[in-house]
Amino acid sequence: MPTSNDHAENPLREGLLSRSMPEPCSLVIFGATGDLTHRKLVPALYNLAADGNLPPSISVVGFARRDKSDEQFRSELEEAARKFSRQKINDELWPNFAGSIFYHRSEFDNLAGYESLAKRLDELDAHRGTRGNRLFYLSAGPDQFPIILENLRKSGLNKSDKGWVRIIVEKPFGTDLPTAIELNNMVEEAFAERDTFRIDHYLGKETAQNIMVLRFANAIFEQVWNSRYVDHVQITASEPLGVEGRAGYYDKSGAMRDMVQNHLLQLLCLTAMEPPTDLTADAIRDEKVKVLRSLRRISGAQVAKSVVRAQYAAGFVNGKEVVGYRDEQNIPKDSETETYVALEANVDNWRWAGVPFFIRVGKRLPKGATEIALHFKSVPPVLFRQTGQSIDDNVLVIRIQPDEGVSLRMSAKLPGSSMRIEPVKMDFHYGTSFGKATPEAYERLLLDAMAGDATLFARRDEVEEAWKFVDAIRAAWESGEGGPIAFYEAGSWGPSEADELIKRHNGAAWRRL
Amino acid sequence: METAVSISPGMPVEIGRIEKDLGRLWEEIGDSKTRASLINLAIYTEKESDVSANTELISKIASEHACRAILIYANREAEQPGAKAWINAHCHAVNRREICSEQITFQLDGRSPAALSNVVFAHLDSDLPLCFWHQAPFREPLDSKLWRWIDRLIFDSRTWDDPAAQLAIVRRIAGLSGVHSVLCDLNWTRLLSLRQGLAQFFDNSCALPYLEKVDRVEIRHAPGSKVSALLLLGWLAGQLGWQLDSVLGRHSFRAPDRSEVAFELIESDGPCISSCRLLAGKTEFRLDRAEHGKFFHATKTGGHFDDSSQLLPAGRDRIEDTLLVELGRGGTHPLYLQSVGIIEPLLV
Repeated sequence: MPTSNDHAENPLREGLLSRSMPEPCSLVIFGATGDLTHRKLVPALYNLAADGNLPPSISVVGFARRDKSDEQFRSELEEAARKFSRQKINDELWPNFAGSIFYHRSEFDNLAGYESLAKRLDELDAHRGTRGNRLFYLSAGPDQFPIILENLRKSGLNKSDKGWVRIIVEKPFGTDLPTAIELNNMVEEAFAERDTFRIDHYLGKETAQNIMVLRFANAIFEQVWNSRYVDHVQITASEPLGVEGRAGYYDKSGAMRDMVQNHLLQLLCLTAMEPPTDLTADAIRDEKVKVLRSLRRISGAQVAKSVVRAQYAAGFVNGKEVVGYRDEQNIPKDSETETYVALEANVDNWRWAGVPFFIRVGKRLPKGATEIALHFKSVPPVLFRQTGQSIDDNVLVIRIQPDEGVSLRMSAKLPGSSMRIEPVKMDFHYGTSFGKATPEAYERLLLDAMAGDATLFARRDEVEEAWKFVDAIRAAWESGEGGPIAFYEAGSWGPSEADELIKRHNGAAWRRL
Repeated sequence: METAVSISPGMPVEIGRIEKDLGRLWEEIGDSKTRASLINLAIYTEKESDVSANTELISKIASEHACRAILIYANREAEQPGAKAWINAHCHAVNRREICSEQITFQLDGRSPAALSNVVFAHLDSDLPLCFWHQAPFREPLDSKLWRWIDRLIFDSRTWDDPAAQLAIVRRIAGLSGVHSVLCDLNWTRLLSLRQGLAQFFDNSCALPYLEKVDRVEIRHAPGSKVSALLLLGWLAGQLGWQLDSVLGRHSFRAPDRSEVAFELIESDGPCISSCRLLAGKTEFRLDRAEHGKFFHATKTGGHFDDSSQLLPAGRDRIEDTLLVELGRGGTHPLYLQSVGIIEPLLV
């Protein structure tokens, strides 16, 4: 099967791009009438078109069950794009962009619908010059993945004589290791691993991409990025939102599966990984998977000591009274689903031996923030002991969202004749230094998938290793060895058990965000 | 103290006290606003009337690219050497925060090149790159002390009266010992969208073979934008391996297979480059831009594929947009000098 590297070089591209060029293709979105398509995918595609980054003859085909015409579909998407696009919709450009959008009605389980899709894609190939290149996007509910994959295979849509065929899989990549393996096997029956793009939108964020630049393009950081200098690492993802309209999904999933298994372990990998041999997708993913393999498994009775799970009770968020999780609509009154997780992870390798990585994630916390904080070891308490002051440790913070940036806390002498030391912060804000808006994560990720660059996508072994870590913890919860679920007031920073968890490490405390 | 968008160079200050007065300025502005700087942006002009226009431009640039701006007006006609200075701040709301950049404006009387390099050296924000926009014609002898400090030398070949002589000086600057400046011709930056638009035709492997068959190029340019058209032509020639062939004052190119590639530059009112056509036999690849149009209409007709038309972003012709594109892209321009080398005989 041809890959993106098989085509001849376009000499006019020299010097114009510092990235792989996306190729003309048909992008087929399964579940095209859903929220993700309206809020994220189509606005991202429009922004790519407005910036001139979209391949010229791309076709976007929405595949869904509801009956509607191309025109109706375009009109719905226009409305959504006007609401959610990063850039204002240009009335001259939209009709041109919309002309590349089509709608294909079919049930997911109807093979004939896929066969007619194949014919339609062939026609689009001939008409628009997409050369048989196809990118399928699984944006439907995960319960639909198996039947979609099966029908793609049966209809022969997973192969192309002329071009490449790739698939983007939205999370969740399974609900545990066995289901992830099952899903991966199903995907693998239809698509080669190199053509499979498991999307984790955290990896498409500028600041997540900047972690590697910060670490490996600045000599001062990598020298101290190890157990000799780092006391512990805190990775936080907090949000003030509750379950919103996702009660059904969330109650089956919980914070551990919804956030830790994918986003937070990916951030941990980027923080802890060794320098890759080069910047190719597999070189980077090889290093990430080594981190996951080095994660000390937490299982059995150890879970009660190293992991805190909790659920929000009623409280106040943004000045408004909110109900507890069990009183949310469509949530069972006896639900044991965790909306908060705090855990201590250990990466058992030479670089990180003895350095705990504290992860916390939760809903209905006071504010939304995602960040990685490296807390450095204390200076020897010698020189300033006589002043009777405690000196705060250095902290390097990488803010993923919002207010993306990097800051370094250090100690400085207060002006005056006495020796008084206070912490000060050196702060880099993306928004301050670079005035222009950064692209949305989905823009970058869609472009990369069209160009065949899998660097920012999760590989099969990464996903499965992450599930091994998470499953062991969940098994202890289910057996009761993991301890009971705790509760925290909505609008607080989580349960006291989480404070106790981190305090056991040299009296450390969670960062005040 | 002026902290809003202003075209005034600001408050007059003594040259020896600039840093102190800037410190006071920031104290007065207070903690509600944040001073930011990514680069030193020095602008050199020899026209007094350009001071307010440049101040306005700096304000717009600072909204996306925080900088310390150093605006230097050289009053070469003054009989006595002397210098005056002003300071100013440009503040813009970014994500609910006010971000401010500072501007120092100098008037240098007389013709001493040493005075220019001195004010630049003395007022840089340390450790930040120096982007130096030379708006006046380059003159020899060259002050290598100054050029060695410049990270990005910005100029606009569209404004030159004698492009051949000026480009020759640019080449000499690039060749000065110890000079590692990236040459940034805004005229080249202006062509970026056009070059991307032309390149995208041939990302399609069905269209790629037509590049070798191009036998004619037509470029329609605005009066005064002939150098822009020539740079575009030079880029095409360089990338496609065409050699300039001049017989009895008639110019064309020879493709690698020795076939002739004719070209025509047509002057017509409108945007800098309003149209570019590449013809390969009966197949045509064409970009057209209407006056004030934000998009190129990219069309391909003939050949073994369906005719098609699409819109591509054309960028804006305003100078501040061009400068923002240049500052935002960064990197080097390895093909620029190659293109200049190809078109030099056509500039005379």
